[in-house]
Amino acid sequence: MKSPICSRPISTATSRREFIYGLGATLGGVAMTDMLAAESPLAVKKPMLPAKAKNVIMLFMEGGPSQVDTFDPKPKLQELHKQESKRTAGLATGFRFYVGSPFGSRKVGNAGLEMSDQWVHMADPEVADELCNYRGCQAESLNHPEALFHMNTGSRLGGDPAVGSWATYGLGSVNQNLPGYVVMTELALPQGGSRNWSNGFLPAHYQGTRLRPEGSPILDLDSQSFKSREHQRRALDELAFLNQKHAAENPQHEALAARMENYELAYRMQMEVPGVVDVESEPEYIKEMYGMGKKETETFGKQCLLARRLVEKGVRFVQIFSGGWDSHDYLERGHSARIRSVDQGMAALIKDLKQRGMLDDTLVIWTGEFGRTPDNNRRGGVYSLGRGHNVDAMTMLFAGGGVKKGAVVGATDEIGAEAVECVHPIRDVHCTILQLLGLDDNKLTYFHGGRYKQLSQFGGQVIPELIG
Amino acid sequence: MKFKTLFSYGLILSCTSILADEFREEDRHFTLKVQPLLSEKCNGCHGDDAEKIKGGLNMLTREDLIRGGEEWGDEVLVPGDAKKSFLIETVKWADPDWEMPPKENDRLTKEQIADLEKWIEDGVAWPEESVQLAIRKAAAEEAVTEEGMIVQTSGGLGDEWTYRRYNPEDLWAFQKLVRPDVPQPNPTVLNDGSHPVSSNPVDAFLEAKWAESGVKPAAQASPGTLIRRATRDLTGLPPTAEEIDHFQKSWEKNSEAAWSELIDRLLVSPRYGERWAQHWLDVARYADTGGMSNDYERSNAWRYRDYVIRAFNEDKPYDEFVLEQLAGDELVDRSLRERLQGDYQAYVKGRQEGNYLPEEAEKIIATGFLRMGPWDPAMVKREEARQLYLDDVVNSVGQTFLSTTMRCFKCHDHKFDPLPTRDYYRFYAAFAGTQMAERAVPFLPEENRDGFEESREMSKELLDFARAEVKTLTNKREKAARAWFQENGLDYVSHADRKELPDHVKPPRHVGLSVEEQGQLKVREQDVWIWERRLDRYEPLAQTVYNGPDPKFLNARKLRMSGNPNINWRPESHILTGGALEAKGEAVTPGVLSALGVPVQGASEDDPYQIPDAIEGRRLALAQWIAHPENPLTARSFVNRVWQQHFGQALAGNPNNFGVKGKKPTHPELLDWLAADFVENGWTLKRLHRLIMTSRAYRLAAEHPRREYLAAEDPENQWLAYFPTRRLTAEEIRDSLLAITGELETDAGGLPIKPEINMEVALQPRMIQFSLAPAYQPDPIPERRNRRTIYAYRVRGMADPFLELFNQPNPNDSCEVRDSAAVSPQAFTLLNSDQITDRSIAFAKSLREEATDLETQIGNAFRRTLGRAPDGIEKKRLGRYVREMTDYHRGVEPEAPVYPTEITRSLVEEFSGDTFEYEEILPAFRNYQPDLKARDVDAETRALADLCLLLFNANEFVYVY
Repeated sequence: MKSPICSRPISTATSRREFIYGLGATLGGVAMTDMLAAESPLAVKKPMLPAKAKNVIMLFMEGGPSQVDTFDPKPKLQELHKQESKRTAGLATGFRFYVGSPFGSRKVGNAGLEMSDQWVHMADPEVADELCNYRGCQAESLNHPEALFHMNTGSRLGGDPAVGSWATYGLGSVNQNLPGYVVMTELALPQGGSRNWSNGFLPAHYQGTRLRPEGSPILDLDSQSFKSREHQRRALDELAFLNQKHAAENPQHEALAARMENYELAYRMQMEVPGVVDVESEPEYIKEMYGMGKKETETFGKQCLLARRLVEKGVRFVQIFSGGWDSHDYLERGHSARIRSVDQGMAALIKDLKQRGMLDDTLVIWTGEFGRTPDNNRRGGVYSLGRGHNVDAMTMLFAGGGVKKGAVVGATDEIGAEAVECVHPIRDVHCTILQLLGLDDNKLTYFHGGRYKQLSQFGGQVIPELIG
Repeated sequence: MKFKTLFSYGLILSCTSILADEFREEDRHFTLKVQPLLSEKCNGCHGDDAEKIKGGLNMLTREDLIRGGEEWGDEVLVPGDAKKSFLIETVKWADPDWEMPPKENDRLTKEQIADLEKWIEDGVAWPEESVQLAIRKAAAEEAVTEEGMIVQTSGGLGDEWTYRRYNPEDLWAFQKLVRPDVPQPNPTVLNDGSHPVSSNPVDAFLEAKWAESGVKPAAQASPGTLIRRATRDLTGLPPTAEEIDHFQKSWEKNSEAAWSELIDRLLVSPRYGERWAQHWLDVARYADTGGMSNDYERSNAWRYRDYVIRAFNEDKPYDEFVLEQLAGDELVDRSLRERLQGDYQAYVKGRQEGNYLPEEAEKIIATGFLRMGPWDPAMVKREEARQLYLDDVVNSVGQTFLSTTMRCFKCHDHKFDPLPTRDYYRFYAAFAGTQMAERAVPFLPEENRDGFEESREMSKELLDFARAEVKTLTNKREKAARAWFQENGLDYVSHADRKELPDHVKPPRHVGLSVEEQGQLKVREQDVWIWERRLDRYEPLAQTVYNGPDPKFLNARKLRMSGNPNINWRPESHILTGGALEAKGEAVTPGVLSALGVPVQGASEDDPYQIPDAIEGRRLALAQWIAHPENPLTARSFVNRVWQQHFGQALAGNPNNFGVKGKKPTHPELLDWLAADFVENGWTLKRLHRLIMTSRAYRLAAEHPRREYLAAEDPENQWLAYFPTRRLTAEEIRDSLLAITGELETDAGGLPIKPEINMEVALQPRMIQFSLAPAYQPDPIPERRNRRTIYAYRVRGMADPFLELFNQPNPNDSCEVRDSAAVSPQAFTLLNSDQITDRSIAFAKSLREEATDLETQIGNAFRRTLGRAPDGIEKKRLGRYVREMTDYHRGVEPEAPVYPTEITRSLVEEFSGDTFEYEEILPAFRNYQPDLKARDVDAETRALADLCLLLFNANEFVYVY
């Protein structure tokens, strides 16, 4: 029988390893021995390559922010305002007209990054000079859930593991009493829901845990209100008695110990989570810096602050979803309000990380699922000043974690319709993120359904221009 | 189409090729082994594209290769010395900086590395093109050589692929299915007196492996373990205390008779179909909504779910099960035509109105299988939306029935299997006219229509509410519009009519509405669609398919059948190069997978794998080919899945992929014997269950005296020397809890039930296109919501968090095997959730009604949950626990639950970028009958419930031995 030499996970698997890591674990074939020694599936693993970043905070602007109204201004588009557009890309049909940006723009910081005048806090040179603006990425799906799935999981079908799952699978997480991959959303879940942070075919340890904005931060974290902490502890002790007795009678069943340990881990998490999520305990000036206490900036600012606290406590990958960027109409009002809601929190996060010396090894990413068109169609029979979905051009920001500082990488054409320089598909951005974390997309694989699966699906390229 | 080589399966010769005489051995080695390797694994980055040669290393010619690249020069390849050649280091992945080829998937096998080494040691032969061609040509004449076998297919995109050779063992699943002889019992292993005598062929095959490995099987499991194992396996529920007692008594009298009687009893229980249908639905990807951006309800999908349950309960032969799911609509339209004796007009009318007999209706419901994938054409071009559907169906059919991952040869000829991309598009063409629709299909007498009235009333109420809100807002807008027209001295034009007017002769788009109201209007309009669509639930419609041209517009909200059967229409079918719609390659006819060597019935000799071109009947021909007794994949695929459910692990470890890269069967003869036996005996599943379950192997204990030795020698328990332990599935946990507490309602089928789920999740807003999805409202009465989980409403965009935590699979992907990873949030939900608390209270109440003294109550709790009595220590310790908790509960007062009848939603509005609010009504909670709550019972009951909760969390409860 021909067996590929890479079948190590199959030939040397023990049921203990299978139980903890799943049948397909390979981790590039390097870390297997570390894994066997490791106690927890989330135990820290050595990166495969020299790593620049240890942690990731990904700020996901759901709906698709417009590149030309945020970080890729196009004066030419202003000149064409309301003139007929003959573009036929995407789903464009019928009469279309160009929409100039309602916002002015300027160069900021020492590096002279361009951004729309709606960004106030991000324009602070201390922040702006940390940024790397990437304009070359192209998406593939024109509708939200597919595009969200693609950006989050590498596949538009919505069943594969999220970037954060791959990262925690590859590196583990420092704090064993907290999930390794944490997700925060607004009250409403984004389109596609929890599939956006699903572990897919990876074992369930790597799924994103959602910290809820209201009520209990993790579902059912707290016991019923009529049961006290002591009541809970006693119940766990009685359970341990039953389970230990059962384990003694079934000494050959290895899964029993791991499931018992899970109850203790759950108890520790119950103790630790409330402290971590208590951002109110932060000093006033910090809360103020993140825009807490102001209606407009409260939600996102608080989540950014929480993201910093989580990374500080040893969480590997944090993701924040902020919706409402789908400005098909009333672009000026819509984007202006969305920018105001995230501007201060984003800037504070970068500054705060920098001041704490955490920015060097924390990669901050700001992105949507796709970009927007320079033109629009009439809606309800009138010239509606908004933009459609665009897969040919978008804009992303990176900061910290080993990326270039104060740089613009790639370019779109003169009206921001299409990426024309340093053009890469989403999978290359994924490979680059992994590379910064010291993971090689080609080696970070999991055997599933008859082949070694990887984040990029079939392999991609690192974008060297982004790396500092 | 011409088939270029002749080849017959099962003919595997170990011959020395006659070619050896004509050509130099070194040249043959290069041409047949090394060159294809370089071409497949290296040249992509090292020569094919002259512009992009990685590291400056060109591998297209001997000279270039010997010269080397930028960082590594002539040390890359040292003719005559493989050890000194860096190439060998790289393919061995010995140097972490130079691992080639860099992808895990492309890594060379040991054999391939040995081929390279031999080539280098022998002096790096590289015959000129013409010699290579001659060698290849001569080799292609030989179907089987020591390099492997050529498989006759409809042909790859290039000759190199077409004449590629395969290791016959890799193609085990493609080989003709021949029933192997059953091995003779070995008197030293199972039948050595340690177990009752077995004449079961399953044991004979396993015994051969045990004898070979020198390991004896474990002892027979205890009768208590066996009844739990069998009952859980066949019904997904725990046995009752009475069933256990009865079984143990019968066992003492005659263990064989007791066992056989138990299996018979379980197989006729309606609970059997509910359990085994779930396994099928995992593979078929059942859900009640369509997923993607709108996540529209597929209102009648439950009819397919119930069809599958009926099929299992009635033991429908598997070949029929296949035909009905793939071509039920074609079967019944044929029978409708026959019934109407050629009256075409009557046929068109009958088809449109759904004038089907019950046995016909059953079949057309079955074809709902082809509607199971997630799909929504919103913001997707029509052609692309069709392609998404067809790719999904093709892959799903391949995985489900043939254990073949079709996606792998959509863009190119299969990298590992003898599956040319041409066959992908021939298979695809068989579905090219398949259109999704909700078709009129009368309800069957056995379909449960309970709750239609109540549910319809609630849907109507929600629809009326949304309509009234729309009306208020549009009235306000039109009032302002009238004023605007008047002010401007123009006649009023209605909203619909003024759409196309120029901007200066009509009021602004949302005249009279505040930004907040604009957002509200959009949400309410969306709600009207949602609730209008929901009314489909109560109509005799089935989510199924028909044949015809692509509709002009595709919208997942409503898909209805075209009235014109259009039987003369033919879709165009091409190979799509690289999978791209724009890159139409060679035209193809519909067809099947040629590599299996199973012709389509009635096809010509020229192209035995072609399906007739008529638009009606393509799928039927494909289905008949799949369900043909000669098809080597079909029976193996199904029998393997059945084995997997009984033993927790499949004989062939990737039930959705029997290809070269899938795991090979651990007991190939056993799998073949079972498959052949299955086909020869009418494809009946219940017979197969009996056969497997009456084996000794199924009755082994989960403990083994030489477990340490086995852990080293057979870590995956492939020899099955002991019975594998498994954790309960998500559905089993919920169903078992309800069964144990006595709350389970055994009413079967019909509209999806809505169990109580975590309230925060139920009411949590969830984005869909343009709006928020309506809140999840549980069924107001316990009799409806406390049915089995297979009947629960399955929403793609929102999983029940309890079930999801216990690894219920994502219905977007076919699930070949369930994960059972233990993660800490499982502990939270099993200790703290409202659902588990309610179960514990209900259980405690029932225990207290059953007996008055604590010791008996604890005893009964153990028996009902764990199927055994507590021992002395357990009784003593847990009795003390309950008494102490009684004191605790006397001092606390649980809160009453609050059920909101309306809820305020807020949404970020694209019009303004601001959040706006609106009210949503929740009629389900108006007359809600909650399950029994902690507050409703006394401190003694709550304390006993604490004990019940422990038992629900105990490892002994969640694992099956």
